[in-house]
Amino acid sequence: MEHEHQNGAPAEDGEYGLYQGPRAHVPEIPADHADDPGYHTRTKFLSMVAIAMGGVMTAAILVPVIGFAVADTVKDEEWRWVDVGPYSDFKQNSTTSLRVDGPSAESDRRVFIRNRDDELVAIWNRCAHLGCPVKYSPGSDGYVCPCHGGAYDSRGKVTAGPPPRPLDRMDIKIADAAGKDVAYADAKAADRVLVGKAYSIDADEKPYKLHPPGDPVDGALSHLFPFV
Amino acid sequence: MATTERPEPKAQDIGPKNPAVQIGMDVVDYLDERTGVKTGANWFMFRNIPRGTSWFQTLGFTAMVVFGLQAITGIILAMYYKPDPSIAYDSIQHITNDVTWGWLVRGMHKWGASVMIVVVFLHMGRVFIWGAYKYPRELTWVTGALLLFMTMMMGLTGYLLVWDQKAYWATVVAVNITSQAPILGPYLGEILRAGPEFGPDTLSRFYSIHMLLIPGGIATFIAIHLFLVSKLGIAEPPWSKRRLAIERAEEDARRAAVRDRVPFGRTPVPAGEPAPDPVRVEAKS
Repeated sequence: MEHEHQNGAPAEDGEYGLYQGPRAHVPEIPADHADDPGYHTRTKFLSMVAIAMGGVMTAAILVPVIGFAVADTVKDEEWRWVDVGPYSDFKQNSTTSLRVDGPSAESDRRVFIRNRDDELVAIWNRCAHLGCPVKYSPGSDGYVCPCHGGAYDSRGKVTAGPPPRPLDRMDIKIADAAGKDVAYADAKAADRVLVGKAYSIDADEKPYKLHPPGDPVDGALSHLFPFV
Repeated sequence: MATTERPEPKAQDIGPKNPAVQIGMDVVDYLDERTGVKTGANWFMFRNIPRGTSWFQTLGFTAMVVFGLQAITGIILAMYYKPDPSIAYDSIQHITNDVTWGWLVRGMHKWGASVMIVVVFLHMGRVFIWGAYKYPRELTWVTGALLLFMTMMMGLTGYLLVWDQKAYWATVVAVNITSQAPILGPYLGEILRAGPEFGPDTLSRFYSIHMLLIPGGIATFIAIHLFLVSKLGIAEPPWSKRRLAIERAEEDARRAAVRDRVPFGRTPVPAGEPAPDPVRVEAKS
């Protein structure tokens, strides 16, 4: 590092071997502030602006697109009371299987309405294991799932197989012609039976918010699904 | 400045060329001058490969060929298939029974799907048993694992499109398994099936994922995977003496570094270079 030499000054003997001519002119390198963290150059500023603009434009595309794809799908279903027929259709000690409307025509949703022991119970046919349709078998007065062998008793509690909780229920009520709720004991044949919102239950028939199939409602594993 | 003289054209093969060959070479030269395609092709196609490379190493290419088959047959099937619950099943019956060779193309797509899963797993097993996922090829394995995941997603989303009872309920079960992932699983299931229950949006959503989203991802990751394979070379078989010598030398160097408390790193030994001499671990005096 021969800084004391002037540019263009003759080289010293032997410095460049046999070459005796003048030094090459090496221009002074101006101070470069690009590497100085305390210095804001125009290049740095414009780079940051470009990156920020790129981020804003990417977000302007991605946020609406992802929202469009996702937002409506994670909404909870809107439940309403559905008239399933006159009270006379549901005889004492009977279990009636009915098709009820789901959110779309493709949701193959049925409800078993059970009239026994002075009580109406509406049991959803969606297996609590992985959502296959359970079948009512009158012989054993229970429900069996064709997919993985889940079996339930007459009130939908698990008797065998993998389901982690009993079958889900739906709200059920009796209303008269004017739409006023009627107690079970006062129900007349012409009063209407209505099925409403679905909910999950535990083994003691304690109600919980509706869970997807496969999620336990109580016990240690239920904490794996805090947002259900 | 000085005039640049054009260099004499290199003497080609003696004698006149077949004009068709000459035109082909001219086209390649035109492309190469502007894109460097010859260099790229040579870099990709004519690599050193280790001794002992065998038919087992062709499984990855086989998987890619099957993906190409699925892509081509899928494009044709999409010309006839209609992703609407009211006519999806009928359109498939139409493809199978009415359209000329529709049964053939649909059969190729259906059986090709199974073949792809089988070949991908054989390829993964080969890489695992050969130990080819080890340094420096870890990221090749990671991209391959993503490709495996996307292949399985293709299987799931394609299965529903048939829209018969088996397709419907099998996919209901599969989506409900998805929603059993902890914490965000239930949301994932709802996003996948476009709501709390299966519906018309589910079918078109699966169709879009099946024919647009995942094929794009698979093509992208095949490109990355191939780039890494070409850059890093094919791994030597586990019984290769050269590879054993390299691993032994690395182990010796690591031990020496641990003993001397100095940092230790590794550099890949390219295929074709001789194995390094083992590092002598000298006894501490």
